[in-house]
Amino acid sequence: MGTIVVPGEVLERFNGRSDNVFFDGNKAYSKVLGIYDSERGMLTPLEGLWYPRMGDTVIGIVEEDKFNIYTVYLNAPYKGIAMSKFIEEPLAAGDIIEAVIKDIDRTKTAVLTRVRKLNGGKIISVKPSKIPRIMGHGDTMIKQLVQGTKCTLVVGLNGVIWISGGNYDLAAEAIFKIVEEAHTPGLTERVKELLEGKK
Amino acid sequence: MSGGTDKPELIVNGKRLDGRDMGDLRAVKIEAGTLKNADGSAYIEWGNNKILAAVYGPKEALPKHIADPERAVIRCRYSMAPFSSLEEHGRSGPNRRAIEISKVTKEVFEKVVVLEDFPGSKIDLFIEVLQSDGGTRAAGITAAAVAFASSGIPMLDLPYAVSVGKIGEHVVLDLNKIEDNYSDADMPVALGPRLNEVLLLQMDGSMSRQDISKGLEMVTRAGSVISQVQKAALKEPYEKVSSRYR
Repeated sequence: MGTIVVPGEVLERFNGRSDNVFFDGNKAYSKVLGIYDSERGMLTPLEGLWYPRMGDTVIGIVEEDKFNIYTVYLNAPYKGIAMSKFIEEPLAAGDIIEAVIKDIDRTKTAVLTRVRKLNGGKIISVKPSKIPRIMGHGDTMIKQLVQGTKCTLVVGLNGVIWISGGNYDLAAEAIFKIVEEAHTPGLTERVKELLEGKK
Repeated sequence: MSGGTDKPELIVNGKRLDGRDMGDLRAVKIEAGTLKNADGSAYIEWGNNKILAAVYGPKEALPKHIADPERAVIRCRYSMAPFSSLEEHGRSGPNRRAIEISKVTKEVFEKVVVLEDFPGSKIDLFIEVLQSDGGTRAAGITAAAVAFASSGIPMLDLPYAVSVGKIGEHVVLDLNKIEDNYSDADMPVALGPRLNEVLLLQMDGSMSRQDISKGLEMVTRAGSVISQVQKAALKEPYEKVSSRYR
């Protein structure tokens, strides 16, 4: 594991580009609180915000139905919009949807596509910076969660997770454990123990 | 800066009233992530100052007319609790002094937070002084920097602030309440440690050019200590979790 860096701290070696790094002269500096791995030249944010990107899968809550457009709350400073003519079933305010960002317009509003209504279930919101850990390398962690809890899980990159069926309490407990211990090694094993111990 | 004929002796036998040397800081302790409802928060104990700072956002800028289509806007509210000081500090709500401090604090963070990443949104910063003993704006800025960093909002630097002043012939660092009231000058300074950029510089009273440069030297020296405390505060919650699995 690397060392924890704070905003403005210099990174000796950094490969590639990142939203979490800025360059001044020929030096790279961190913009966020994160873990810096000097061997691989990588910075993983411990705390970070979600920036809408094209192709991101998100979970949102329908806020308003305006004639032919739905406005969707995305757990971010920006809203999503979905055209009702591309959605098969009608939506109402308060509905939870899964969607993919098709485009981001000038005002940073996300245009949503492939909208799917999620019926029933519960949603929990976590820090968006922890989502990659919840998914795991090659989706190992999320597969393990699904297997261990028999829940249906949909993970939005905006930090919202939809859980339906199965053992909700166990799934939520495991997710919060992952969020709290995201920066520690050997987490997959410990989550496995948790899931097996309480199955 | 009250002065007057009943001015107390602030330096006795080469030491200040609380036993510090001229260039000594008071004890600084910071805790990050104190408030669970906030996106980022910090609690600072700086001498007898006790201050909470909380950051909310970025979120949709409401009312709409405050939104800037190019960048996020920061709104800052510095406030002293009615019970925070020996003298009465108003019942509640901002007074003229609080509005000024809110403005200068906001301007410090407008320089270091990457506002361009969140056009059209707003970030709320609250600084609540629970107990005051001089230098609350400096302590507030130091705590707010930790609150910002713990919220994950991208920043170019982690600023700190501390005050310097002049008592008689001496340039002194980090004035407490009584020194602040009866000193000849008081100058709070906020710096960005990465480039030693001055983000805030206010002055009450008068200091010579030499005194100011001496004062700024003291600030940068003290700054390395304050920065260390800030960094330790940010790392502590993570290291606590890591230490369980070593």
